[in-house]
Amino acid sequence: MLVLFASVAVCTASDKTFERKVPAEARGVVDISNVSGSIEVRGWDRPEVSVRADLDEGVESVDVNSDHGRTSIKVVLPHHSVRHGDAHLQVQVPKDSELTVSAVSADVVTAGVLGVQRLNAVSGDVTAELAGSDLELKTVSGNVKLKGHGQPARLHVSTVSGDVHLEHGAGDLEAGTVSGTLVVSLDSARSVRVRSTSGDLHFEGKLTRGADFDATSVSGELKVRASAEAGYAYEVSTFSGDITNCFDEAHTERSRMPGHTLQGTRGDGAGHVHLKTMSGDVQLCDRK
Amino acid sequence: MSGTRGRDERKVSSLRELSGAIEPSRDLWPQIEARIDEERRVTPAASAAQERPARRRTVAPRWLAAAAMVASVAVGVWIGRSLLPATRPVAGAPATAAAPTLLDAAYVSDPRYQRQRAALMQSQQAQLAALPPAARDKVMTSLAAIRRAKQDLESELGKDPGNALLQELLVNTYQDEMRVLTDVQQASSAGKGI
Amino acid sequence: MTQAQAEDTRIDWEAGLVQRACSGDTRAFERLYREHVGRVYGLCLRMTRDAHLAEDCTQETFINAWRALPRFETRSSLSTWLHRIAINVSLAKRRKASPVEPMLEDEEGAGVAGEWTLETPVEVQEIEAAIGALPEGARDALVLHALYGYSHGEAAQMLGVAEGTCKAQLHRARKLLRERLNVEVL
Repeated sequence: MLVLFASVAVCTASDKTFERKVPAEARGVVDISNVSGSIEVRGWDRPEVSVRADLDEGVESVDVNSDHGRTSIKVVLPHHSVRHGDAHLQVQVPKDSELTVSAVSADVVTAGVLGVQRLNAVSGDVTAELAGSDLELKTVSGNVKLKGHGQPARLHVSTVSGDVHLEHGAGDLEAGTVSGTLVVSLDSARSVRVRSTSGDLHFEGKLTRGADFDATSVSGELKVRASAEAGYAYEVSTFSGDITNCFDEAHTERSRMPGHTLQGTRGDGAGHVHLKTMSGDVQLCDRK
Repeated sequence: MSGTRGRDERKVSSLRELSGAIEPSRDLWPQIEARIDEERRVTPAASAAQERPARRRTVAPRWLAAAAMVASVAVGVWIGRSLLPATRPVAGAPATAAAPTLLDAAYVSDPRYQRQRAALMQSQQAQLAALPPAARDKVMTSLAAIRRAKQDLESELGKDPGNALLQELLVNTYQDEMRVLTDVQQASSAGKGI
Repeated sequence: MTQAQAEDTRIDWEAGLVQRACSGDTRAFERLYREHVGRVYGLCLRMTRDAHLAEDCTQETFINAWRALPRFETRSSLSTWLHRIAINVSLAKRRKASPVEPMLEDEEGAGVAGEWTLETPVEVQEIEAAIGALPEGARDALVLHALYGYSHGEAAQMLGVAEGTCKAQLHRARKLLRERLNVEVL
């Protein structure tokens, strides 16, 4: 009997596991929130939401509710405890669901979700797969990794100090950072609007006909390699940074004059590229 | 040079004898006055916001209210800057002064902006304390980057007040500051709401 | 009244107008405009070489000045401050119309000291035409230094170039004027 109590005591002191499945609409809304730990979401073909969670001591439970096309999954912490444990959630949702995730110190990973994604994290890192639907992502200090498959979508990414890596995106991108680094590659870009205070932007991609590309930074560096079959008109303004471009095969033009603008046209000039900095250096090229 | 005056047949022995002043062929003041009056009604920042291409969105962002406030702050900042008394960064002042002093120095006349900023600043320390430590350090680094940007821009604008590029970047920086303060406020209460 | 006293009186009068303009008094600003428009327009015209563009630049200069007036420190020269704005506006409008001129290498000891006196008197119209025909960089430096009286350092700063570059441009201007006017420029 003594041995049995001991083993029970060991069980209650260790991590708990939570599992639950609820029916869900194919294009319903799924809301997930967690303070600390991780959230992993995968899209699947079944009309149900499956939740599996590993819960530390200090996590009370996971609330799962499904009603009128909306499924909410919330990690519940003890009300009066100052020690919060981690909860590691693995959630599977109908692949066309509209997904909203709110995390504080939890890392977020999504894959195979084809519907709109709204992902908010304070300090957790966010890794998401893009699939042709809108994405809105906001972090304070978490780093962001986005991977697409070249399907056009509207992407809105906002971070205070996290870094952003986006590859094989397409469509419209609006991104803002204060001090994070933005490394972006778009297979096809219709509209790009990027703003940073001290963070650097490295962009590589192809602009569609008539595309608008607008990037400003106070002290961050702007490195833009933008090609366009229909060409673009460009205007680069900097107060005290250097401007370099690679448009002449024979040489690279480098201007040392402060407070100046470099303007020109590539090809038919169908698109528009505007790059502005105060002290950040600017590099503009239309080939690798 | 296109002709603006009759042939001057005087002869001079030095370039310094040439007159620096040339009167325009017509009075330019009426148009200048009209532009000033127009700008009093519509500010440059608001106009620029109106010129942004409309973006069709299938979903409204959750932080749309905060974003709208940040964008509208640009109007208050621009109006306020036109009424600011002349200021200049104090020579020899440390690059990183205490946060409340630096941020409080951005006085703007728009009362809504002042109220919102004051409320955010008042609770900033407590909000930062509520963040996870790693996030708090990164946010403070970003706030310092914004302060440095504002200082650098205002310093250069003091020497080159008509520089449109610097003016645009400064408005952007004020907007970014409000965005960060708002994000910090939302982030610090995120744990309570979850 | 001595010249210095007259200058002090003028500065005080101007400071009063600036203060009133800062409070939104456009009549006060108009008086400042009338006082300075000649030299501002003259600078714009010599830099752009086009009367219509110079009118645009002049208007833009005063509108920018109106916006930035609260930042102006009244003990410094309003005229210099307005010229800085005018130069930036003119350079920006000029760049829109034509590509950036290739950089001139700095020339140490380029021999730019001198009062810009002419060995024999020349008709004003002819000199103005010769100045107008100079390449942009040389013309800008010459106008600011020889006509408007700014030092090499001041002119360089206003044009956003190194002082050595400014001196090189002045040297080039002197050489080209000499060739065009067929008189020695000292």
